[in-house]
Amino acid sequence: MKVERMDNEAADLKDPASAVWSGLTAENISLAPVPLAAQPTEYIRVSRADQPYGETAEASATAVGSGDQLYVRLEWQDDERPNGEFADAAAVILGSGDNIATLGSDDTPLKLWYWADDRDGALNLSSSGPGVVLKNSGVSVSAAASRDDNRWAVVLSGPAKEVSDSQMGVAIWNGSNDERAGLAAVSGWLSLDMEAS
Amino acid sequence: MNETSEKRQIAWVIDLNKCIGCQTCSVACKVLWTREESEKAQWWCSVNTLPGKGTPKDWEGMGGGFDDAMAPKTGHQPTPADFGGGFDFNHEEVFFGGSAGKVHLEPQAPREGRWAMNWDEDQGAGEWPNSYYFYMPRMCNHCSKPACAEACPSGAMYKNDDGLVVRDEEICSGSRFCMEACPYKKIYFNYERQVAQHCIGCFPRIEKGVAPACVRQCPGRAMFTGWLSEDGPVRDLVMKHKVALPLHGEYGTSPNVYYVPPLSPHPLNEDMSINAEKPRIPPEELEAMFGPEVHDALSRLQAEMDKVREGGSSELMKTLIAYKWQELLGPFTEDPANIIATG
Ligand code: SF4
Ligand code: SF4
Repeated sequence: MKVERMDNEAADLKDPASAVWSGLTAENISLAPVPLAAQPTEYIRVSRADQPYGETAEASATAVGSGDQLYVRLEWQDDERPNGEFADAAAVILGSGDNIATLGSDDTPLKLWYWADDRDGALNLSSSGPGVVLKNSGVSVSAAASRDDNRWAVVLSGPAKEVSDSQMGVAIWNGSNDERAGLAAVSGWLSLDMEAS
Repeated sequence: MNETSEKRQIAWVIDLNKCIGCQTCSVACKVLWTREESEKAQWWCSVNTLPGKGTPKDWEGMGGGFDDAMAPKTGHQPTPADFGGGFDFNHEEVFFGGSAGKVHLEPQAPREGRWAMNWDEDQGAGEWPNSYYFYMPRMCNHCSKPACAEACPSGAMYKNDDGLVVRDEEICSGSRFCMEACPYKKIYFNYERQVAQHCIGCFPRIEKGVAPACVRQCPGRAMFTGWLSEDGPVRDLVMKHKVALPLHGEYGTSPNVYYVPPLSPHPLNEDMSINAEKPRIPPEELEAMFGPEVHDALSRLQAEMDKVREGGSSELMKTLIAYKWQELLGPFTEDPANIIATG
């Protein structure tokens, strides 16, 4: 995926509805549920065996570099606004290794730039497995979202130097299906062409 | 965390024959631990009238715990509406509004659907003259097989060295699987801080030799605490006399709060004569709560009581009466007033 450079548009880039995004080509991404067998506790494996989760199968992503920041705009279809306990949420996943499908592992934790509809801003999390997250301090990330015609558009941004191995991934939690922690849809690694201009 | 099963285990015994439903235990807990605005609706210790819907409403149908093969059972997460409460009241209007005697203190929530801890107080069951009810305090059972901790994906919950089930709020990610998995539905969610919360067994008091607030404050002398493995009233009532039983032992979590089941007078026949065949609280209802052992426990209690009434002496009755208040506190007899708070 090409990371366009736009060094003078930082303010507009934070807004997912801004016109700067519409001129760019979005990449289609497929996602799959975090495997049931990888869920970290027996309770979750048993209780979710007949309760599908992570069914957001597609999303699109666009990425822009501006100054030392990386901006990623995600967009996906979400037919229902949650009215229960859990919010719609999404994350840009950064890191390396072959454990993206399980949101990292003890040996290779991944970074999540995490947005949720029920909180302001974004969290920078360290994830070492489905639902095994800790807050990272020191690195500031941000998020803004808009919703139109049952589609979420979210821009997550943070320091471009957080990217490893020129790749990123995406995770989406559908709040109306009570998705949280490891009950998520996750993509594979997408390579980022950071040098593009 | 020390994983041995040899760890000591704190336990509670609550004598339902002595509980007067005064809510001193629940309020003692409330003022100590859940005074934040975001904790308004939390009652780590709740006292409900039974038969009744309980706290949260109809919790016994919400699942969780383990099946006979000890596999986890899917549970339902209680909602804020199931717990109810946390109301704002019309204090201003009543105290300063100039309408003394005309308006009464009332929750500022729509009348329809209002619900809170103990909302169905003293409704009970049965028809006059045979109506019946009793009170049941409930807190986290600090289970020996805690379904909550086993369900937590973050490893935030564990049993401490005293057998109390506690949560590291720094690690809790707010995923709320504990609330689904606990079959007793004694876990709340703090929406502001995004962490789950439940009875911590007053662990900072225990560590200083002070009994939990619910036990120490109980004016009914209905609550006992102590180590299950050491001599004392708790161990005697549970192991020796076998009159204190876990609530819903079939949920499979090995709870450590035990109840002395309530005896009741005989019902009256239509001609107002006494029906000596049965007690007024249907034994099958108590069996549904405490298991088939409840029948033996009730017979033993009745027999010992009769013995005393006939002028005899009963060690069991002496223990339950608790002539000395300190006997209820087990080894935790320190006066909290003597503890210097630090940090
Ligand atoms: S303080 Fe004692 S008597 Fe009062 S409700 Fe609690 S257990 Fe029952
Ligand atoms: S009562 Fe519920 S919250 Fe308390 S230890 Fe048992 S399962 Fe966990």
